[in-house]
Amino acid sequence: MPQHEVMIECDGLTKRFGNLTAVDHVSFSVDKRSIFGFLGPNGSGKTTVIRMLCGILEPTDGRARIANVDVVRETDRIKGAIGYMSQKFSLYDELTVNENLLFYGRLYGLRGEALKKRRDELVTLTHLEPYLGQRASLLSGGWRQRLAMACALVHKPSVLFLDEPTAGIDPVARRELWDLLFELSSGGMTLFVTTHYMDEAERCSNVGYIFMSKLIICGAPDDLKLLPEVNPPGTRRIDVTCDHVTVGLQVVRKLEGIMAATVFGQSMHLLVEQELPEQHIRDALARVGVHQADIRPIAPSLEDVFVALTAKHSNNGGQS
Amino acid sequence: MNGAFRGFGAILYKEFITVLRDRMTLFFMLFPPLVQIIAFGFALDSDIKHMAMAVYDEDRTFESRQMIDAFVNTQTFRVVQQVQSLEELSAFVRRGRAYAGLQIPPDFTRKLRAGQKATVQVLIDGSNSTTALQALNTAMGVAFSRSVEVLLRETGRRDLPVEVRPQVLYNPAMRAPNFFVPGVIGTALQIATVFAVAMSVVRERERGTLENLLVSPLSRWGLMLGKLVPYLCISMIMATFLFTILRWVFFVPIRGSLVALFLSAFFYIFALASLGLLVSTKAQTQNEAMQMSMTIMLPSIFFSGFIFPRETMPWIFYAISTLLPLTYFIELMRGIILRGEGLAEFWRHLMILAIMGGGLFSLCALRFKRKIV
Repeated sequence: MPQHEVMIECDGLTKRFGNLTAVDHVSFSVDKRSIFGFLGPNGSGKTTVIRMLCGILEPTDGRARIANVDVVRETDRIKGAIGYMSQKFSLYDELTVNENLLFYGRLYGLRGEALKKRRDELVTLTHLEPYLGQRASLLSGGWRQRLAMACALVHKPSVLFLDEPTAGIDPVARRELWDLLFELSSGGMTLFVTTHYMDEAERCSNVGYIFMSKLIICGAPDDLKLLPEVNPPGTRRIDVTCDHVTVGLQVVRKLEGIMAATVFGQSMHLLVEQELPEQHIRDALARVGVHQADIRPIAPSLEDVFVALTAKHSNNGGQS
Repeated sequence: MNGAFRGFGAILYKEFITVLRDRMTLFFMLFPPLVQIIAFGFALDSDIKHMAMAVYDEDRTFESRQMIDAFVNTQTFRVVQQVQSLEELSAFVRRGRAYAGLQIPPDFTRKLRAGQKATVQVLIDGSNSTTALQALNTAMGVAFSRSVEVLLRETGRRDLPVEVRPQVLYNPAMRAPNFFVPGVIGTALQIATVFAVAMSVVRERERGTLENLLVSPLSRWGLMLGKLVPYLCISMIMATFLFTILRWVFFVPIRGSLVALFLSAFFYIFALASLGLLVSTKAQTQNEAMQMSMTIMLPSIFFSGFIFPRETMPWIFYAISTLLPLTYFIELMRGIILRGEGLAEFWRHLMILAIMGGGLFSLCALRFKRKIV
């Protein structure tokens, strides 16, 4: 089935810097046309994985293939197929937007009319038209990101790696970037995105979560939410909306039968024992003066999934 | 361009725009060498003229005044003060108000006329060995020529028994700029070129743009050549400026051919730019690049023959000097500018520079890893 053609594949990918293991036997695969969200705390090894997949960092161990080409042994063959937008959108500040685009185009072998045509296409795609003559150093964060994106797309790569493309970008630019990513994905491109934002992770067709150099989970967001580790038997998740949630949280946490509690805006998300009567929660809240509480069952969010899995792995790490 | 130099054109395009827009780099490439050549050219003048001299003339006769005039006529000395005691004379020299003090004793003329040995005393400030040596030599010369005059008069001979007729070739006036300025041009080009090339690669590493280049199909030869050519061009323009100053500010005649001059500059700059690339393959930050460049360049000031002649160096320093591009450039410059050497004479040095440049450049391209870290 063409839908399940594998685009990125890594097997036991490992990188050690001296005594530090930055990436520890990471294995996963990404289907063609999918958007793969790669999540994890800072310093967990996300960028290291991307660099190895792009062929600019030699793995200590393991294999990685892009479109069935080994990234270590045949680095030159993958270069035309991959686009890479590095962290902080490194651009040439002394060059104008137009010159940055032309430079990257030439770097990938475009010349003359073909180069101009491709530049125009990218400008249309990213709406950079009004800034063409401006120096890259004068662009704001969102526009820098678009330019970096356009530069990474200049050779029509079949896989695009984006390392924290939305870090430090305002919400509107963030939304627009995702619209662009969906557009590219629908055009057949495979996208590999690292991010800190859970709402972005929810938009991905698949996510992987890397924690302390190890990939601890990988799958479609909806499948992950059904994992038994996330939904321990005999428990359920509820949302409690009330006034003074932060005050409420303190008393609720002390109640028997509450396994986890976190605040989400005006409400709190609780993981409670299946049998815990809702009245216990209402009573506890009433004791601190919170009388109105709206309680309803909910499904776990991706954040719940990662919190649960991180806790589990931290414990495992402690035991071994 | 395809194949081994893939991406060269793109890097060249970008680098030229960057260099021309980056006023700071351009300024730091062009301005210091100009200051350097002007400053060095004027200040590094070891021809000492008109040294301050105090005079204590106790004799006060026609002969004693003639003696003082003889000192002044050498152009090495000028009289700044007539003093009235020996203490005053030595105080003048001690305080640094005069480099030399001349004392003519009261019996000077009497002894001279009587055919006895007449003495004058010269005090010299020895704290600067160069000026002291020249003062000493000049004073001896004055005494010697006065003695010869007297002897000739007494013996009735018209000519000296032996006369040396020196003919100084290539730098007849023995002007110091002719000797120093070619070396100054070499060091000025060295600092500007090595730094600029090293920085331009390391800056990309620091800013993270190198990562984007490594992901692209750019070849390492393409990158290296693209980085080298723009700075080679700028340094050649600078060399032209410096030669112009040499000719029209310091009036050093260029005896050899201009083609030879520029060919030497080209191969020298090529070697320097390759040295800059070598630094950049190792240095991770601009600071590191700066320190490494300095480490490479500092020995060349001392060991290249720029100031001290190589022939008198201990063998270890001489060995170091043979590794420095500056050594060969200075040889070439002195050969072509001062002695008017032709290709038959200077080809060996030119060849060494070309091999150095080509070797270093290839080494860099091969050493440069298309990987992060």
